[in-house]
Amino acid sequence: RAISDGKPEKFQPPPKPVIIDKQKQREERRFLSPEFIPPRGRTDPLKFYIERKDMIQRRRVFNIPEFYVGHILAVTTADPYANEKTNRFVGICIQRGGKGLGATFVLRNVIEDQGVEICYELYNPRIQAIEVLKLEKRLDDNLMYLRDALPEYSTFDVNMKPVSRLEHEEVPVNKLQVRMKPKPWSKRWERPKYNIKGIKFELPESKMKAAQKWSQPWLEFDMMREYDTSKLEDKIWKEVSDGLKK
Amino acid sequence: MMPIWTKSGKKHAVTLLKVQDCHVLKYISKEESGGKTSKLLVGGKNVSPFFKSESAVEIFKEAGVPRKQKVSMFNVTDDAIIKPGTPLYAAHFRPGQFVDVTAKTIGKGFQGVMKRWGFKGQPASHGQTKTHRRPGAISTNKAGKVYRGKKMPGKMGNIYRTSYGLKVWRINTKHDIIYVNGSVPGHTNCLVKVKDSILPTYKDCNKNPPFPTFFADGDEKLPEDLYDEEIFQFTDPSVTYA
Repeated sequence: RAISDGKPEKFQPPPKPVIIDKQKQREERRFLSPEFIPPRGRTDPLKFYIERKDMIQRRRVFNIPEFYVGHILAVTTADPYANEKTNRFVGICIQRGGKGLGATFVLRNVIEDQGVEICYELYNPRIQAIEVLKLEKRLDDNLMYLRDALPEYSTFDVNMKPVSRLEHEEVPVNKLQVRMKPKPWSKRWERPKYNIKGIKFELPESKMKAAQKWSQPWLEFDMMREYDTSKLEDKIWKEVSDGLKK
Repeated sequence: MMPIWTKSGKKHAVTLLKVQDCHVLKYISKEESGGKTSKLLVGGKNVSPFFKSESAVEIFKEAGVPRKQKVSMFNVTDDAIIKPGTPLYAAHFRPGQFVDVTAKTIGKGFQGVMKRWGFKGQPASHGQTKTHRRPGAISTNKAGKVYRGKKMPGKMGNIYRTSYGLKVWRINTKHDIIYVNGSVPGHTNCLVKVKDSILPTYKDCNKNPPFPTFFADGDEKLPEDLYDEEIFQFTDPSVTYA
């Protein structure tokens, strides 16, 4: 290389190599199902402990996979009135609600142009199998707006094959912006209280501005609403992992 | 409250009741009490013995037991008398038994006639002047008076009420918890009185209950959880219909 100035260049040491320890990364990823975290209230923690024992007991016998809102699941339940006594339903998980043994999740699918939503209980003994067909997180926690979106966004093939996935990888986030049917909608999804990032709003600017009137910017600074669950989660995670290892 | 599933796949809601430091306090004989049967005084949760007069704490001192928050009376037949000072446990009840639960309901304060007694009130519009939640007429012209016991606004709740005929699904002997079907009067963590059911349909339902009560230092060693026959236990595989 041509050295322009006569002064000797200062010795630049080579950059240090960055070692990515893959084993450490694998251990850090841990998923605690949201129904284990007890809600804020005045109930005795003994009640949650006993419920957790029952939940761990059920998980030891029957595998409940890790899944988030936006995953596509296939659930087989025991049905006394079906031909073979099982009933299989495939759908996208719209919301996960409830705490403890009564935790539920809602699956949505469009079958022969009819939208169908079924609410399943995670710990119901009639459920025979839960398979995760496709893993993808969405931008929101609650996909109820799919009811007002174009039906193509809620249709999933009933005989879909499970998409293969490498374990120990981050769950991919699908940044899909959904197009909606013309208004009126079941809820005013443009309002800031729903905080939806997954819709492509094709409304005029004036309407979007008018919706911001209902924003409550003081909510994020409200200290009474803070519920720090990190320590609780650590304790519960230890309990659950110990219970499942036995 | 928790869900519970039966072996046929049906779901029932269940309330958890914890038996916390229950001791028998005193035995009152038939003649002393003036009733048809003798009575036993039973005390509940432990509380501090201070800030109370001597006479109130006397009963607890005689029994040799710390002061209790709630004291209730139970009518007992002569062959079921227990010595004062014995602790009572959740294993006194067995799954499959039927039980009545008494407690003070949640206090709602001074309430109007629509919430307290379920009156219909008046329409919201069509010319009503300042009358939407009022009782309306309280008596007839011929009566010339208002009858005693007329339903009117007043303090609602905070009174003793009983739910009858609740089935016991499961008992946890380690933590002394009784799982009782359905809902129970009172707020969460309130004190509650649990008795064998008086309903005539459940008179013959108690098959060999521990009589007079379950003694912890006796010979019987119970498993940690006692289940009813119909309950789905989580150790079993999923329910299938053949």
